[in-house]
Amino acid sequence: MTRTARWAGWVAILALFLWSASATELSLLRMVEGVPFMLDFLRRMVPPDFSVMGNAVTGAVQTLQIAVVGTGVSALLALPLGFAAARNVAPSWLFYGARSVLNVFRAVDTLVYALFFVAAVGLGPFPGVLAVVAYTTTVLAKLYSEAIEAIDPGPVEAVAATGATALQVLRWGVLPQLVPQFLSFTLYRFETNIRAAAILGFVGAGGIGFYIQTYLRMLNYPAASAVLLVLVVLVMLVDFASSRIRARLV
Amino acid sequence: MIRVRALQKVYPGGTVALRHIDLEIAAGEFVALIGPSGAGKSSFLRCLNGLIAPTAGEVEMDGEPVTGATGERLRRIRARIGFVFQQFHLLRRLTVLENALIGRLGHVPQGRSLVGWFPVADIVRAKATLQRVGLGGLWDRRVDTLSGGQQQRVAIARALLQEPRVLLADEPMASLDPALASTVMQLLRRINEEDGITVVTSLHVLELARAYGRRVIGLRDGRVVYDGPPDQLTDAVAAQIFSGAQP
Repeated sequence: MTRTARWAGWVAILALFLWSASATELSLLRMVEGVPFMLDFLRRMVPPDFSVMGNAVTGAVQTLQIAVVGTGVSALLALPLGFAAARNVAPSWLFYGARSVLNVFRAVDTLVYALFFVAAVGLGPFPGVLAVVAYTTTVLAKLYSEAIEAIDPGPVEAVAATGATALQVLRWGVLPQLVPQFLSFTLYRFETNIRAAAILGFVGAGGIGFYIQTYLRMLNYPAASAVLLVLVVLVMLVDFASSRIRARLV
Repeated sequence: MIRVRALQKVYPGGTVALRHIDLEIAAGEFVALIGPSGAGKSSFLRCLNGLIAPTAGEVEMDGEPVTGATGERLRRIRARIGFVFQQFHLLRRLTVLENALIGRLGHVPQGRSLVGWFPVADIVRAKATLQRVGLGGLWDRRVDTLSGGQQQRVAIARALLQEPRVLLADEPMASLDPALASTVMQLLRRINEEDGITVVTSLHVLELARAYGRRVIGLRDGRVVYDGPPDQLTDAVAAQIFSGAQP
């Protein structure tokens, strides 16, 4: 790359940033002016009102359940899709088809799917599960397919060289390389899905988000902060447990 | 008895690995295969157990054609041929014992092997073989915690557990430091002498071939350019194999 081209590149990036900054009304002044309101908001949240603990825990448990079922179903659906989207396993027509479908569905986030499924099947945790499944399946399938593509062919060949059948080669040459990675990816998505499921309630798709939104709308900030604290604890517990397990898998 | 007739291997893209190879290896021989990289040593070994299919020519193992064999017949042939790879090709997340037991896949009932429930007799046998290659007591270790020399011995144990008649080794020492190389060579020699298993090993170090081979086959450009005892492998002959100087 020439010097001029490199400079032109940096100028273009700077121009893009400035253009976007002005369009989004980036303003330090307005932010500073907002600080008192932010502080006021925070002040109203303390002390948290722990009398709503029952609701908070109910919501947190439901969020956990949405994430568990959603991630579990996604992991199952992503298995065949992952193989279909792996360049070294799937025939090219299947590979390109599967990759395209995954890219299209992955472009839309869980919350958007939730809006769609709430409209389709009604309020409650079930549309939340469907939303988690719709998005997570595509992400897991992509991660699985990358793991499948990164498989070391050497051990697979070595198992085949012992006179093993195709199933035995799969069981002893392929799966030992994939299962720990698949589990690790799935746990990682489970962590992410706890956060995603926490805001599903904002659009009526169940979980702890419903209570956060309800109390905020009722201007009951102490109750909202109690629920938020429960969410923080849930996320931290899940992250801690999941990362401990993932560290042992690799 | 391995019989190779007019063997030729051309890879898609036009690379000629083997031009024309005719040779026989009797049961119980210890053959060192030498030659510069790209001479066709790996392709030759891989044709012997059907890991790759030759473009032309035939390979026969104990009178049974390897070339053209598929499915159940190819699996039965492969089960009788152990193969040791330069890069070991172990399942690095599995234990030493599990890796060794993979050598039993051709012998145990498929259903049991799929759930990992190997018969006790096979486990006993695997442990005895691991003991024999000097890995006693390391059964439960993950193989990626072992040294290179230990990993190659796991791979040799895996091959031995196939109860093979032939052991093929593709530069089994190339990934090891020289001190370990001779212990692996001694192990291959012992397997050859004590079990009567035919050993064909490619080697990248001429000295090893001279020290351990009873018969040395020199390959160059996909042809056999030397086939004889190691003591007739003079420096002049070696130079011809490795540098291509005409005699």
